[in-house]
Amino acid sequence: MFTTGSKMFLGATTLSVVAAVVFAASTGGATGLLGTVGLVTVAIVFAFLAGINFFTRDGNTPSMQQGVEHTSSAAQPPVGRSMWPIFAAVGVGGLVVGAVSRPVVFKVSIVVLLAAVVEWMVQGWSERASSDDRFNAGLRGRMMHSLEFPILASIGAGAVVYAFSRVLLTADPGAGLWIFIAVGALIVTGGFIFASAPKSSKRTMAVILTASAVVLMGVGVASALSGQRTIHPHPTIDDPSQKALCLEGGEEEVDEHASQDVSLKSNIVADVYLQENGELVARVRGYANDFSQQIVIPRSAHLGVIFHNESAESHRLTGRFGSFPEQPEAVSCTTAVHPGKSAYLGFQISKTNAASSTPFEFIVPGVEGATIQIVVP
Amino acid sequence: MTALSPSRRRRLAGVTVLAGIVFAGCAKNAPQDTFKPEGPNARTIDDLQRPLFYVAGLVGLIVFAVIAYVLVRFKDRGQEMPQQTHGKTWLEVLLTVIPAVILVGVSIPTVAAIFELDDQSNECVINVTGQQWWWEYDYTGKCGDVEITKPIVTSSELVIPVGTPVLLRITSRDVIHSYWIPALNGKRDAMPGSLRTLRMEADEAGIYVGQCTEFCGLSHARMRQAAVALDMDDFQTWVDNQLEAYTDNAPEPGSLAASGEATFINQCSRCHQINDLLATDGTPVLAEPDLYVVSGAAPNLTNLMTRTAIAGWTFDLLTEECREQLWDAPPAEFGDLYLQGVWMNSAADARKPICFDEATLRDWLRDPAAMKPMFVDPNNLSSTGGRTRGMPNLNLTEDQIDQLIAYLLERN
Repeated sequence: MFTTGSKMFLGATTLSVVAAVVFAASTGGATGLLGTVGLVTVAIVFAFLAGINFFTRDGNTPSMQQGVEHTSSAAQPPVGRSMWPIFAAVGVGGLVVGAVSRPVVFKVSIVVLLAAVVEWMVQGWSERASSDDRFNAGLRGRMMHSLEFPILASIGAGAVVYAFSRVLLTADPGAGLWIFIAVGALIVTGGFIFASAPKSSKRTMAVILTASAVVLMGVGVASALSGQRTIHPHPTIDDPSQKALCLEGGEEEVDEHASQDVSLKSNIVADVYLQENGELVARVRGYANDFSQQIVIPRSAHLGVIFHNESAESHRLTGRFGSFPEQPEAVSCTTAVHPGKSAYLGFQISKTNAASSTPFEFIVPGVEGATIQIVVP
Repeated sequence: MTALSPSRRRRLAGVTVLAGIVFAGCAKNAPQDTFKPEGPNARTIDDLQRPLFYVAGLVGLIVFAVIAYVLVRFKDRGQEMPQQTHGKTWLEVLLTVIPAVILVGVSIPTVAAIFELDDQSNECVINVTGQQWWWEYDYTGKCGDVEITKPIVTSSELVIPVGTPVLLRITSRDVIHSYWIPALNGKRDAMPGSLRTLRMEADEAGIYVGQCTEFCGLSHARMRQAAVALDMDDFQTWVDNQLEAYTDNAPEPGSLAASGEATFINQCSRCHQINDLLATDGTPVLAEPDLYVVSGAAPNLTNLMTRTAIAGWTFDLLTEECREQLWDAPPAEFGDLYLQGVWMNSAADARKPICFDEATLRDWLRDPAAMKPMFVDPNNLSSTGGRTRGMPNLNLTEDQIDQLIAYLLERN
C-alpha cells in the first residue's frame, strides 16, 4: 500500500517528531525552544514529502516489466473530478477569516483543511492504484471507512443533540416536557413502522430521515438565534444582595419557570416540610415516620435537604450556617418554592456549633417561628 | 538435585493443594469470617449465601467433572477424527433452560433478602463518616431505651446496644471508602456527596471487627473498625460516661495531667477536639481540622481511653493479654470489662492502669507516620494547600508525651 519512498519519509517524519519531543524535554531555555521549532519544521517537511510520494506512488515504472505501460499506476488516467479542492478552498478561506475574527473559526478551518487534504490525497492515490476501478474503490473504502464512518456518525449525533438542546433551552420548561415526549414518540413510532415494513425502499427511508434531520436542524438553528430563555443565577452567599434575599424573603425567584420538582438525590439527610399551619418540621432519613425539629449532621460532609412547601404561599428555605471570626455569616437558600412544590438545598458545614457565634438553623423568611436546629457536633 | 518423576510431581501438587485447603480452615482468630453471622442482618445474608454457595459449588463440580471426563476420554491417541456435527437442538435448549431455572430460583430468595435488609424500623440512627484513614461516629438522638441528650462524637469504635436495630447513615469526607463489619451485615460504600444507609444489630454483647473494603490510599489496609455491642444497661453507662461534664474530672492544677492539658491545647487542639475544654482565659478550645487536614476532620479525643484501639482501630490501647481477655469474655461479662477499658484488672485505687499498652501510644505520639503511612511530609504538601492526610509528626518531647498520656488517662 505504501510505496518505498513514502515509507522512508514517514520514518523520517516519525524520527523528527521523536527527536523534537526528546529535545524539548531535555533542553530548556531559548536553545531548547529554537531546536524544537527547527525539528518540528523538519518533521512537517518530511510529512509533506511523504504525502507527495504517497500521492505519486514514487513515480516508479519498472522498465523491464511486460505490459507495464498499461498497468503501472503512472499509466492510469489522471484522477477524476473531486469535490475536495472546494473543501480545501473553504478551509483556507476560513483560516483567513478566523485569523481576523474568532479563534473557533480558525480551529474549525484547520480541521476542514486537514480533512480535505487527506481525502483528496487518498482519492488521488486510490484511483490510480490499479487499472481496476472496483478494486481501487474497495481499496479506498478499506482505508478510509474506518475513519469516516465513526467521525461522520459522531458529527451527526452531535448535531442532532445540539440542535435539540437549543430547542429545549429556548422553550418554556412546561412545553419542553411535551416536546421531549412528542419527539420520543415520533422516533419510536417511526422505528416501529420501519420495523414492521422491512420491504420499504431505502430511498423512502433516506428521504424521511433526511427531512427529519433538516427540520430538526432548522428548528435548532432558529432556536439558537432567538436565544435561550432567561435562567436567573442561584443566590449564593458571595453576593450580598442575594444574601439579603435569603434572609428577608421577597418575590424574586431563581427561575420562575422551573419545574420545582426534585429528582433523585443521593445525599439527602432530611426532608424539610413547611406545613399548612406554618410549622417547619424535618423528617430525618433513617427515622421512619417521626418529625423532628433538629438535624444532627457530621462536619465537613457534602449533604442536602429537600424543602417541601405545603403552605398556601410561595416560600423559600434558608440555611444559616454560622458566623465565624472575620467572615460574613454563611447563608444559602432555595428559590421561592410554589405551594405544593419542592426544592433542593445543598450545604457543607466545616465547623461545629460551638465555633459559631450564631446558631446553625433552617428558617423560612416571613414565617414566624419556622425554625429547625442544625447540630454539628 | 534429582528431578521428580511426573507421577510424583502430580502427587506433590495434589498434596500441596489439599494441605492449603485444610490449613486455610485452621485460622484461630478469624473475626472477619463472613460465614459467622452474629446478628439478624448478617444472618439474612448468610441464609442466602450458604445455599447459593452449595448450589454454585455443585454446578462447579459438575462442570469440572465433565471437563475432566472429556479430557481423559477423548484424549488424542492417534485415533481418527470423529464425524463433525453442527449443534444438537435438544441439548442446547436443555443447557439454556437449566441455568435459567437456577437463576430464577436464586432470584426469589435474593429479592426477598434485599427487602428484608431494607427494613426501616430503626431504634437508633448514627452518622458514620469515613475519611483517610479512620471512621467517625455521631450519635443523633435516642438509641434504644437510652436518651442521648447531647451529641456524642467518637471514632473507629462503634458502640451499639444489643438487640437494637441501628441504622448507620454512611458518607465520606474525602475519597470513597467502604464500611464492612462481616458479622453484622454486608458492606456499604461511603462516598463523598452521598448518604447511604446500613442496618446493624447484634445478638449479644461482644466486639465485632471490620475493615474498609474500598481502596482509599496509603493506609487503606490500616483503616479498620469495630462495632462493640453492649447490653442496654452497659450502653446507658457508656453514654453517661461520654456525656460526663468535663469539669467533673478536670486535672488538678499543678499535676502532670494539668501540664498535659496545656500541651494538648498547644499542640493537639488545632485538629483534635476535647469537648468542653477551656483555655486559660476561659474561652472554649475549638479544633479547626478544616484548616489543617484535607478531609476537614480529625478524631474527637473526648474520652479517648474508653476506646480499645486508636489510629483507625489499628493500634491497641490494651495490652495483648487484656485484649485477649476482653475478646474471649462471655457476653455476660463483656460489658463490664469493656467499660473498665485500660483500667481492667487494676485495683480501685491504682494509679497506673495494668491493661494500658503505653508503649504503643508513646510510639504513635513520637512519630505517627512511622507507624502508619500517611501523606504528611511538610515538603510535599503543595498539592493540598499545606493540609495533610493523616497526623503529622509534632516533634513532641518525651516530657510532653509523659504529660499527654497522664492527661488522656485522667480524661477516661
